[in-house]
Amino acid sequence: MIKWLGALLVAATLSLGVAMPTFAVEKEKKIVLQISDGGEEKQTLVLNVANNLQKHYGLDNVKLEIVAFGPGLRLLFKDNVNKGRIDSLVKSGVQFSACQNTVDGMAKTLGYKPALNSQAVPVQAGISRIIDLTEQGYTLVRP
Amino acid sequence: MKALKQTALTLACVAALGTTVQQADAANWLMLQGTEPVGTAERAYVWGFLQPTYTQTDGTPLPAGTPFAGRDAVFNTIVPDQKSDSQFQILRAQVGVRGQNLPLDSNINYFFLAEFGNNGVTTNGGGAARVVDASITLNHIPGARVRAGLFKTPTAEEGLQAIHVFDYINFTNVTDQMLLERFFDRDGVPACTTATSGTAETCANRPNGPVGAFRDIGVQVFNAFTFGSFELSYAAMLGNGNGINRGDNNGSMDKYYYLSGEYVFGGNGARREGLKFFAWQQDGKRTLITGGTGTQSSVGGTAGTEADYDRTRSGLGLTFRKSKFRAAAEYIKADGMIFDGTDGGAVAGVSNIAGTTFATFNIVPVDKADGYYADFGYLVLPKLELDLRYDSLNRRTDVAANERQFTTTTVGVQYFFNPKTRATLNYELRNAEAPNLPATNPANLVLDATDNRISLQLTAIF
Repeated sequence: MIKWLGALLVAATLSLGVAMPTFAVEKEKKIVLQISDGGEEKQTLVLNVANNLQKHYGLDNVKLEIVAFGPGLRLLFKDNVNKGRIDSLVKSGVQFSACQNTVDGMAKTLGYKPALNSQAVPVQAGISRIIDLTEQGYTLVRP
Repeated sequence: MKALKQTALTLACVAALGTTVQQADAANWLMLQGTEPVGTAERAYVWGFLQPTYTQTDGTPLPAGTPFAGRDAVFNTIVPDQKSDSQFQILRAQVGVRGQNLPLDSNINYFFLAEFGNNGVTTNGGGAARVVDASITLNHIPGARVRAGLFKTPTAEEGLQAIHVFDYINFTNVTDQMLLERFFDRDGVPACTTATSGTAETCANRPNGPVGAFRDIGVQVFNAFTFGSFELSYAAMLGNGNGINRGDNNGSMDKYYYLSGEYVFGGNGARREGLKFFAWQQDGKRTLITGGTGTQSSVGGTAGTEADYDRTRSGLGLTFRKSKFRAAAEYIKADGMIFDGTDGGAVAGVSNIAGTTFATFNIVPVDKADGYYADFGYLVLPKLELDLRYDSLNRRTDVAANERQFTTTTVGVQYFFNPKTRATLNYELRNAEAPNLPATNPANLVLDATDNRISLQLTAIF
């Protein structure tokens, strides 16, 4: 009888031991933020949203990518006034993607390629990068 | 000041060669007004501000025993109209546009501002509105931005700062009389008589156009550099020396030099916290007819001698802002082209008791003046600031008998409805005297009539 109760306890403990980790693991959030507007308020908003998401879910529980294209690419200009905040977010794991089609378009207007933040990761087309990411399970947010 | 000049020019040269120090963000007057934030500036950002104002004195007239006894004392009337001792007015109403004409190109920005209010900018020379800023800045050369057009000159803090965040309603005596330049064709001496000239208007020797408004048309090289929390700024400018509405008239350009160093505590914009030291100088020449007895408008057509006179202004000072406390102080010197008020303290164009002469504006081409101010502010409540300012001007110091001293203690309150809307109440305890003349001298009798002044102003920035 005692052996039988002991076996039951061991079985119960093992079953709990297997089940408990499945409650402890948080599912990682994957979010892509779109910035395609060039204004100061929109730039500030996107950076604020990225910060707030990291604070809310925790740095290890959220994967963030900010894709800039069109007028929004100005966020990733080399001397943008927000470059300090961008550096800080990159250090905390955020990726900033810069649309090369937009760069090429701007180069035609300016006569030269605009200098970009060295932290920016080039992608051929910002919009297709967003679609690819959403197909990989990212949630698209456009603040 | 020679050292200042050399330092400023050396900095400009070094900067033009391309230094490797970090350029500062827009966070001082040179940068706030002359540049735009990289990567965020709009093509056309519309902004402006309104300042309806009420001002009152006791209206004490000129006293017995003086040439214009019984007439209005000009210093007790309300500018710019000088017709009453109490007045509601729209002191300033400015609308402007600024930005980067091509937002992709952060190397070029512009600044445009027009004045529609009732003040010295709009009341002389006709016209109800005037352009007061119209400039383009080129940011292509590392360390040496180039600004061209009409804009505020790199001089005294009171004039250079954005007027919509000025903590008082009226300027200090030294700024008002020595830096807010009035431009004249004639010196106003001797007084215009009814026998020789006729009407009050032609005899008044009024300014020949708007006040300078601390601005000039020209070109400026400037920049700011940060070294950790320290910021070093410089500016060197060449301008017509003729204010906002005229070209050059004497083949001589005004030269401006400015240098400042600031330890930045934090924040940004117009109310950034920091401790700043600054020094500046302006050198120029002005053309003036002296000794004539004719009318104001017929330059060279009547008796008198036209000549160019040196006009130099210089100053040094500091500003401080930290948490709830702020302070500022500046010492200013003036050499040449000293504004000397009106004859007998009367309103220009008014005849004397005997009916033989008209009061005229006067300007003294060769003389000196100096002055200073100390200003303190404390935010006693989150939306309520108390202000206290003391200022002094010694005018015409070359000859003891000509010297006049003006001192004003201003007590102020600012209530901030929100960060862009505030009410300002000022009470000015004003004193003036001829310190080297007897108390019974007419000059002292006139100056004794100086009233205190109360002003209330609303400011809304949009």
